[in-house]
Amino acid sequence: MIPFLKNRIVLTLVIVALAQTGVLAGMVVDRVRLLKTGREITLPIVPVDPRDLFRGEYVRLGYDISRIPVNLLDGPLPKPNAAFYVTLERKGDGAWLPIKLTSKRVEESSPDRIVLKGRAMFGRLQETPSTPTAAHMVKYGIESYFVREGQGPRLEALARDKKLAARIAVDSGGNAAIKGLLVDGVVQYEEPLF
Amino acid sequence: MWYGQKVERDLSRWQAAGWISDTGATAIRADLASRKPPFGAAAILAMLGAVLFGFAIMSFVAANWDAMSKLSRLLLLLATLWACYGGAAWLFQRQLPMFAQAAVLGGIAVYGASIMLISQMYHMEGSPPDAVLLWALGALLAAVLVPSTAALAATFVLLVTWTWWERALSNSAHFGFLVPWVATAALAAWMRWRPGLHLAAISLIAWLVPLGFFILGRHAHWLVALIGGLLAAAVVAGGPAIDRRARISAATFAYAIVIAYAALFIMQFVDSRWFFGTAPGGSLGRLILLAAISIVGLLGAMLWALKTDNTAALWLAYAGFAVEVFMLHVMTIGTLLNTSLFFLISALIVSAFAYAAYRLHQRRAVTPGVAS
Repeated sequence: MIPFLKNRIVLTLVIVALAQTGVLAGMVVDRVRLLKTGREITLPIVPVDPRDLFRGEYVRLGYDISRIPVNLLDGPLPKPNAAFYVTLERKGDGAWLPIKLTSKRVEESSPDRIVLKGRAMFGRLQETPSTPTAAHMVKYGIESYFVREGQGPRLEALARDKKLAARIAVDSGGNAAIKGLLVDGVVQYEEPLF
Repeated sequence: MWYGQKVERDLSRWQAAGWISDTGATAIRADLASRKPPFGAAAILAMLGAVLFGFAIMSFVAANWDAMSKLSRLLLLLATLWACYGGAAWLFQRQLPMFAQAAVLGGIAVYGASIMLISQMYHMEGSPPDAVLLWALGALLAAVLVPSTAALAATFVLLVTWTWWERALSNSAHFGFLVPWVATAALAAWMRWRPGLHLAAISLIAWLVPLGFFILGRHAHWLVALIGGLLAAAVVAGGPAIDRRARISAATFAYAIVIAYAALFIMQFVDSRWFFGTAPGGSLGRLILLAAISIVGLLGAMLWALKTDNTAALWLAYAGFAVEVFMLHVMTIGTLLNTSLFFLISALIVSAFAYAAYRLHQRRAVTPGVAS
């Protein structure tokens, strides 16, 4: 062993630093793997509450799939603050639409279907929806996008004009990550891996 | 005030009264001088220095963050992390443990900041409490291995943050909190660090007191009050037996008062609509019953605290009593009870207590050996 590490306190601090570095590196590696190997889908961005769209240095992104009609729930209601799964299906015009919401992950082999892992936007899903047209508010971890200072208002305007879309990478576990933003179908903000 | 300063003050008095010889006083002073206070000015300045360094680095990073690539940001974060632990190792070697502890705390802070900045860089969202738990576990690891009291304190703070956040999102009891709490409390006991045991108790209370809102139909504060009451009763019944194993009965009694009264307070004044209903007639009897339980319990706690010389418990019970009387007064102004009648009743109760305390004091004053 390196003589330097024979000292107990030095050794323990190296272990602590290595463990914490490991966790941080794990976060990055897992994300990079998702961005590199995940399936790509493109989702149009819909404006969220316009007053809240641009906050500080990040934009809040809303999607059609952020609202899942309550009648798409298949099986029991997911537990509070637990992850659940939303299956999307590609329609003729290329748009991805939700077809069901399940507590457990479902296997979908069709290229026209993809499963996303989501969580309730406000901690839990409504237990007793008020009307049949009510919707569950769902987040997928792709709702905030950090931008350079001053870029927010531009994106906000584009979102309001419905010209913005997000390219999303989805891995086999249903985890989703933003790969980049498209303006009028052209990639304008691309995320570097490192 | 440090113990030494307290003794010094009494020492002059005892010396003047002739109870202690001059050589005795000199010997006591020399003994005190050889024992340094646990937190010197240097250590406190070192901690402040670490915090200021942290701010300097943070503002530098914030000013240049946009200009850096992701990779250079990551490397900067990791370099800062390793610099903190490297600094700690160096300071431990130089026999400067307090400075080293400050550096460990710095490392834990950088670790937490890195989790958040990486989440931001990669647009990760997930569940924010999970990130806090990841941070707490990193702090716990440092606390175990080093071993570090500063890291242990940070772990308790992070665990409470985690459970409150998780409860706010999931609206559930979150019994999962107990798993890392038991591990951290066991570590505090193993390190024989008394402030750590206090932190363990306070963080458990922070989890236990609101528990009634999340279990058994969401109004189970009676159960929390019962737990506090049983804990206090256990100390009353077996205080000396507990203290033979570990001297914790006095502090346990004080914390039991906090648990029991906090739950009774919630039943009377926070969740009161559920407990008393909205009907004006049926509610008064139950409020009086709960108020009587609170007042009798607090008075009993005061007497026991006086008997066992438990200053902390005495002041906590006093405070609880003051809050109870004030809240009852606010609740009953012009509505349920005539205000003057209310004051008459509280005056009678307090007078009765004052008499009891006086008798108790008198009995102690005439005990042989204490009388002067």
